[in-house]
Amino acid sequence: MKKKQHNLSKAHEKYLKRLRKDKIIVIFWQITLFVLFLGLWELLAATGAIDPFFFSSPSRIATTLADLAVNGNLFLHIWTSLYETIIGFVIAIVLGVAIAIMLWWSEKLRRIMEPYLIILNSLPKIALGPMIIFWVGSGTSATVVMCVLICLVITIISMLNAFISCDQDKMLLMKSMRANKWQILTKLVLPSALPEFISVLKINVGMAWVGTVMGEYLSSKAGLGYLINYGSQMLKLDVVMTSIALLCLLAAGMYGLVSLLERRQQK
Amino acid sequence: MEKFLEFKDVTYFYQTKEHEIHALNNVSFEIDELQFASIVGPSGCGKTTILSLTAGLLEATSGQINLQGKPIAKNDPRIGYMFQRDHLFEWRTIWQNIMLGLEVQKKNKDPKKIALAEELLKKYDLYGFKNKKPRTLSGGMRQRVALIRTLVLEPNLLLLDEPFSALDFQTRLKVCDDVYDIIKKEKKTALLVTHDISEAISLSDRIVILSYRPATVKEVVDLDLSGSTPLAKREDKDFGKHFEMIWRNLTNEKETTQSIKSP
Repeated sequence: MKKKQHNLSKAHEKYLKRLRKDKIIVIFWQITLFVLFLGLWELLAATGAIDPFFFSSPSRIATTLADLAVNGNLFLHIWTSLYETIIGFVIAIVLGVAIAIMLWWSEKLRRIMEPYLIILNSLPKIALGPMIIFWVGSGTSATVVMCVLICLVITIISMLNAFISCDQDKMLLMKSMRANKWQILTKLVLPSALPEFISVLKINVGMAWVGTVMGEYLSSKAGLGYLINYGSQMLKLDVVMTSIALLCLLAAGMYGLVSLLERRQQK
Repeated sequence: MEKFLEFKDVTYFYQTKEHEIHALNNVSFEIDELQFASIVGPSGCGKTTILSLTAGLLEATSGQINLQGKPIAKNDPRIGYMFQRDHLFEWRTIWQNIMLGLEVQKKNKDPKKIALAEELLKKYDLYGFKNKKPRTLSGGMRQRVALIRTLVLEPNLLLLDEPFSALDFQTRLKVCDDVYDIIKKEKKTALLVTHDISEAISLSDRIVILSYRPATVKEVVDLDLSGSTPLAKREDKDFGKHFEMIWRNLTNEKETTQSIKSP
């Protein structure tokens, strides 16, 4: 890499330097804003401008985090939410892509299913919550089902749109090479839908966490959603804020992993 | 000479929800082996329909299309199709793009086919880009890759659907020369569809002029211009004469809606 840079012209070096500088400025401001936000929050709480009982503060969150970690429950709650989210996310993606493939394969089936998909998409899934508990029982299974329900329809619709909008001339090219439908799917339709698949993953990272928290609200004995519910009922709002902060970190981590996948795909 | 490709009274109707469109009406023409033929006609007259019928992607409403004396079958393996755009798959390397048709036909492990693909890449200065992605290639190089992708399938007849139309004028002249050179060197018969009269004259041994829809054959012109490349042929003294004749033929055409029948 260093060897390559020796051959760069001065103008190019200057350009690369400016790019690096811009990147550093962006990162600097991102961190500064975060630190300023935490500092201001702490200051307002310490001076009594905001009531720390209702709004908590960074130091109170840190103390709560330490307390939860010492009690040994913190990692159980994090792990419960994490695996429920990951299981729901994976099931929704696999099932969603499989159903989208089936609907792409058969135009008739697609036309039959269209109104049902529209209804399912517009239905607020939380309304099904009590029914889910009756159908699959409470706890992890109900949370995973809620998570799947929230992510599934959007996956089907987005992936189906990507499959249908595949370049018709490329389809014709494949047909002129005597490709069968399976070959058209595997060699053209699926690879060309990869960018859409990545954006579905990105959307579903957020949606899966919504599903998990909603599921845990409804019925659970562990998880960050349970902690939020417990904290609000017991008026331990520090616990609520700590859980929200943890949710932010976990969702950002999962989003980061998907972005990593996206960068690898773009290479 | 043997009738290599023969259109006999071919008629074709497109069916849509609103209309029935009469695209071709008793179209008849022939192309000899190793000829480079072109089809010209007014925009929307059914030029691409003729290619789709020849490739077996569409089935004629009536009439017959024979290649080497045998009727065209659905997705006929004797035909190679090159489209307006190169349609290289961006997620595949140049080599993987070239092997696409062979993979589809499960011939990608055949040593003879692999040797042919390598030979064509070397011959047409693309071997160094074998493992590169299409985005690293120029427009002209991409079209050469698209042509090689078609040629490795060893088709008897090459169908070219305005393959230069997406290129800028300068690249177009260069790629035109390249494609002509490759087709002649590989001893292939080609049928080109174009709206560019100069391109048709500079490339072709025979030009089929179509009328407006429903298309009929207005005239078949045989050419014998001097010059070894399409660019050189543009210098021939008869080039302008042929251009004027075809131009007059096409501008006399008046667009009608008679071909559209509502139910």
